[in-house]
Amino acid sequence: MTTQLASKRYAVEDLNHAIEFCYQQGWTDGLPVVPPTERAVRAMLDAAGLEPDKQVAFITNRQVAVSAEKVAVNAVMAGCLPEYMPIVVAAVEALAEPKWGYHGPATSTGGAAVLMIVNGPIAARLGFNSGDNLFGPGWRANATTGRAVRLVMRNVIGTLPGALDRGTVGHPGKYSYVIAENEADSPWTPFHVERGFKAEQSVVTVMAAEGPHQFYNQLSSTAKGVLTSLCDDMKHHGSTNGQPQYVVVLAGEHMRTIARDGWSKADIQKFVFENTQNSLAHIKRVERLAGAVTPEDETTMRPLVPSPEDVHVIAAGGRAGAFSCYIPAWAGGKKSSQSVSKLIQDRRA
Amino acid sequence: MLDGILFEKAGIPAASIVTDVFEGTGHAMAQSWGLPDYKFLSLPHPIANLSEAQLDQRAREIVPEIVKLLLQGQE
Repeated sequence: MTTQLASKRYAVEDLNHAIEFCYQQGWTDGLPVVPPTERAVRAMLDAAGLEPDKQVAFITNRQVAVSAEKVAVNAVMAGCLPEYMPIVVAAVEALAEPKWGYHGPATSTGGAAVLMIVNGPIAARLGFNSGDNLFGPGWRANATTGRAVRLVMRNVIGTLPGALDRGTVGHPGKYSYVIAENEADSPWTPFHVERGFKAEQSVVTVMAAEGPHQFYNQLSSTAKGVLTSLCDDMKHHGSTNGQPQYVVVLAGEHMRTIARDGWSKADIQKFVFENTQNSLAHIKRVERLAGAVTPEDETTMRPLVPSPEDVHVIAAGGRAGAFSCYIPAWAGGKKSSQSVSKLIQDRRA
Repeated sequence: MLDGILFEKAGIPAASIVTDVFEGTGHAMAQSWGLPDYKFLSLPHPIANLSEAQLDQRAREIVPEIVKLLLQGQE
């Protein structure tokens, strides 16, 4: 590493003053941040094999270039270990993809957060939680990588609440919203392999997402029974019916019940696609679509998503409990934002 | 807002309109494109639940402002 760090230096009295200084500058998400010293930022860059001036992303509709140095600064502030840096970098690269379409999901009143799903060997190696209390606090890798991405959005790309982040209600996933797939216990093909990566590669997928909606089924011992409860809940979940994609997270008990019946992820996708459709008449009656109900509307069915593949099935969550969940993507339609999967690269020589 | 900015950059007169609760967001977007003084118009919020007649009325009210902005440009 030879290139000098370009970020402005500030002199502060001690650690407490540094933390308060970051608050005063408006650089935090409301929680204290770790002051980004040159040494810590360097360690972050070294762990990813990146020069500080390397452009990680260019956010076209904000005209903002994101350098590796700025990603590293925010990863330090978020509390990341240096070895998390390649994951944060891959996620930021994904946000700049036209398919993710930064402006819509980042700015919309729809209040989407960036859901990150980590697959491949890096997940277990770095201690990402894929089990009990899946979306809850307590795991540094989950908590800080997502937080780092949000701090980059805020501090580098200018996605500030009330200005260029106009989420009406938002949700707590905007602090951090990171899970890993439980590949060790899953009976199914890992999500990144379904998307064309090799099992031994590590991949992060980002999706602009609403919060997780939990559903319950303790009574059924069949795949069809469990998924019927899911579909009944999911088809009326209450957003704008414009979701391009959904994530379905199947936790331990449900995962085992469904797998015991021999259902693959493709079988689950097909079942969910077919059993979450609403009639146009229903959508109009509940005032989510304009216009009078016509006789044809009673039998014209509208699917939740364009195709079965738009239901991303992930094996993750606690071993015990008759709960799983589904996560609606941001309701901007497929032309506005889609999930993006990025290889997590080790660029060290 | 972005479409209006891009039209203007391409030399095509444009009038961007936001509802009033998005004025700050409009300014922030223009700022991010290096145009802190970008002029745009504003309507009362909300509009999505208005009747056609109410929408027509809103449109009639703002048309003179649109014409003025298109003729005056961003100068």
